Amino acid sequence: MSLGLLAARRARSLRNAVVALTPYERARNAAFSAAGLALLYGLYAGFRRALVYLAGVELIGRLMTWKLTALMFLMTMSMVTVSSLLTALTTLYYSFDLKFLMNAPLDARTIFLDKSLESAFFASWMIALVLTPYALALRAALHLGWGFMAAYAALLPPFLLLAASLGIAFTLILLYLFPSSRTRDAVWVLSSLSLTIAYGLVRFAQPERLLRPDALRVVAQYLEFLQAPTAPYLPSWWAARGLRAAAEGRWLAWCADAALLWACAAAVYAGLVALAAKTYFIGYSGAQEGALRRRVHSLAPLREVRALGREGAVLWKERVVFLRDVKHWSQMLLICGLVFVYLFSIRRLPLDSPDLRSLVSFLNIGTAGFVIAALGLRFTFPAVSLEGRSWWVLRSAPIGVERVMRQKLLFSAAPMLLVALTLGASTNWMLDADRFTAALSLTALLVVAAVVCAMGVGLGALFPRFRIENIHQVESSLGGFVYMAASLFYIGATVAVLAVPMQMHFRERFGKAGAWDARLAAAAGAAWLALSAAAIAVPWTLGRRALEKNEE
Amino acid sequence: MIEISGLTKRFGERAAVSGLDLTVASGEIFGFLGPNGAGKTTTVRMLTGLIRPTSGRARVAGFDVAENPIAAKRAMGLVPDEPFVYPKLTGLEYLRFIGELYGVRLDEIRRRAPELLEMFELAPWGGELLESYSHGMRQKLVLAGVLLHEPKVLMLDEPMVGLDPKSGRLVKDIFRELAKRGTAIFMCTHVLEIAEKLCDRVGIMIDGRMIACGTLAQLREQGRGGGQDLESIFLSLTGGAEYASLLRYL
Repeated sequence: MSLGLLAARRARSLRNAVVALTPYERARNAAFSAAGLALLYGLYAGFRRALVYLAGVELIGRLMTWKLTALMFLMTMSMVTVSSLLTALTTLYYSFDLKFLMNAPLDARTIFLDKSLESAFFASWMIALVLTPYALALRAALHLGWGFMAAYAALLPPFLLLAASLGIAFTLILLYLFPSSRTRDAVWVLSSLSLTIAYGLVRFAQPERLLRPDALRVVAQYLEFLQAPTAPYLPSWWAARGLRAAAEGRWLAWCADAALLWACAAAVYAGLVALAAKTYFIGYSGAQEGALRRRVHSLAPLREVRALGREGAVLWKERVVFLRDVKHWSQMLLICGLVFVYLFSIRRLPLDSPDLRSLVSFLNIGTAGFVIAALGLRFTFPAVSLEGRSWWVLRSAPIGVERVMRQKLLFSAAPMLLVALTLGASTNWMLDADRFTAALSLTALLVVAAVVCAMGVGLGALFPRFRIENIHQVESSLGGFVYMAASLFYIGATVAVLAVPMQMHFRERFGKAGAWDARLAAAAGAAWLALSAAAIAVPWTLGRRALEKNEE
Repeated sequence: MIEISGLTKRFGERAAVSGLDLTVASGEIFGFLGPNGAGKTTTVRMLTGLIRPTSGRARVAGFDVAENPIAAKRAMGLVPDEPFVYPKLTGLEYLRFIGELYGVRLDEIRRRAPELLEMFELAPWGGELLESYSHGMRQKLVLAGVLLHEPKVLMLDEPMVGLDPKSGRLVKDIFRELAKRGTAIFMCTHVLEIAEKLCDRVGIMIDGRMIACGTLAQLREQGRGGGQDLESIFLSLTGGAEYASLLRYL
């Protein structure tokens, strides 16, 4: 009854939010939804292409397809679990409405049911959205009917609930054992570390062996690898196995796996509710205690500091707040892991000829650019929103919005350029790229990093969210999607435009006479500069104007 | 020091503030009263440049807030109704940050920041992160930040909320002293007693319109025989009679 009431308030809030949309907001949402669907279609097309190729491999094509499917489910499960660990921390212990709910005549169990289902939903919806194009591509590649999609839809909810329950259970236990606001910091570090390790483990397992039978010494070894269950005791394997059964028309086997998933999900969630009965309120109570007194320094250092000026003060504030906030600096672990794994992947590439190595060095603009854009989603795009409810301090101060944005850009550009330099220079060195290619790709990467940074701050100002509970709400917002789409479009366009001089350079390498067309090369260079300038100026100007008008 | 003419703010169809005209002189403490949702905070937010008016003009210290916001902001200090401050800065760092933002010389910050912390009894907490401050402590710190840069105009939105009686008294004395030195103070409050004792003039706002403005004596005349104290005047002007039937219902 009470849970129904809580669910009804969500439905009512959602309905009110939709009804309150202005025509402009409706049109904007429709446009972005269309862009989102296009992106999902792109994913579908990519998956389909890969799966059609795999399925077409003689004798072992199907085995490879299902091995890849099992890996996809395993990856989805680990991502949902880690994501739910963080989401549960905010929704179960630090949500804005918790004080109201806890004061209301509701038992802790009802509140836990409401909040844990919310955690599970928010931790998994986006990941599930990406998995669905994969399932659709699988259906198309294997020429299956829509019954296959129905089978997939029936397997997905218990699978996601199970994965999310693991993360929620971990958070419950952690907050029960260490019921203090400081535990929140520990969870941030742990989650960053676990994500880094999980990412590293997946990468170092060398999934590319799936596509390269020659990487394994004997055929039998390869077949054994393909046939072996991928983590047989995890729900990801049951889901993948069930899906395969559905694809092969073995509906009894599918029923068995679906029943196993549903029964396990029900049992684990019931166990979670029982665990919450013992632990949730104690953890919640501890988490509400005021932050511990943390002495940073005595009054003495003020005598030693030097004048910063208005803009310098903003930059200084950015640096101090970043370094003191665990949820920010702990993500540096993730970046280090990401860069290391990226470079490891480049080193493992089976490239025999110098031409191929130079080509990969050029294409590195796209892949390393993607890594930089993804980092920007975490560090640059939320920069304005992270002012949070303290935004009034800067807004009422005698400093213009543009100056604030400039300092935020300056603060995030330095590390991003460093990452770009590391990725670009190390890759060129490892691939032994020729001078022209190395110079072109490194220059392009540095420009891409600078443009993506400016784009991040600009679009972050265009879509600010000052009243958020955690940074993931900024990343997964409409603005975050627009930022990713815009930066990926820019990176793609950069690669396409710079391919013109690169093509001339290759023609020269292959000894073609008159390989260089100076006019065309200059036009490509000018087009790229114009594109980059527009990619900075448009989001920046729109963002500045929007932030000046912002009335939050 | 504050000149407002025809100031209007609409949110869609609803007018939060409608055609407000007002002048607050240098050295004057002006109390802005009204029931919840009357438009007081919206007015402060327009005057401090946090939001743009739909129409009308506001000048602070001689500067048009819309046309020359930076100069206007340099001349004023804001204490908002909710003192949200950067949780990962210490009290002393916050004051330094505010000082630098408002162009206070560093030697002045070095001298005055510890004094202000001492005055508001925050000195033992000066090196602590603001996330560990209570609401009242943050309120006092924001007040200290405003005093650090010695503004010509003070915009206060419920400045007494969360303050203990001793701090409340201190803050009132500070406001009186600042007014004596020529600072114009524009204060929104629900505490009628404070408005009665502290303010030179009082304006009462309902549904975005100022329905009465003047000294206490002038308001008594406008109060249609509601009574002698500000509470009675306020209730008679804002329709306090409805409370009687409500009390009967309870």
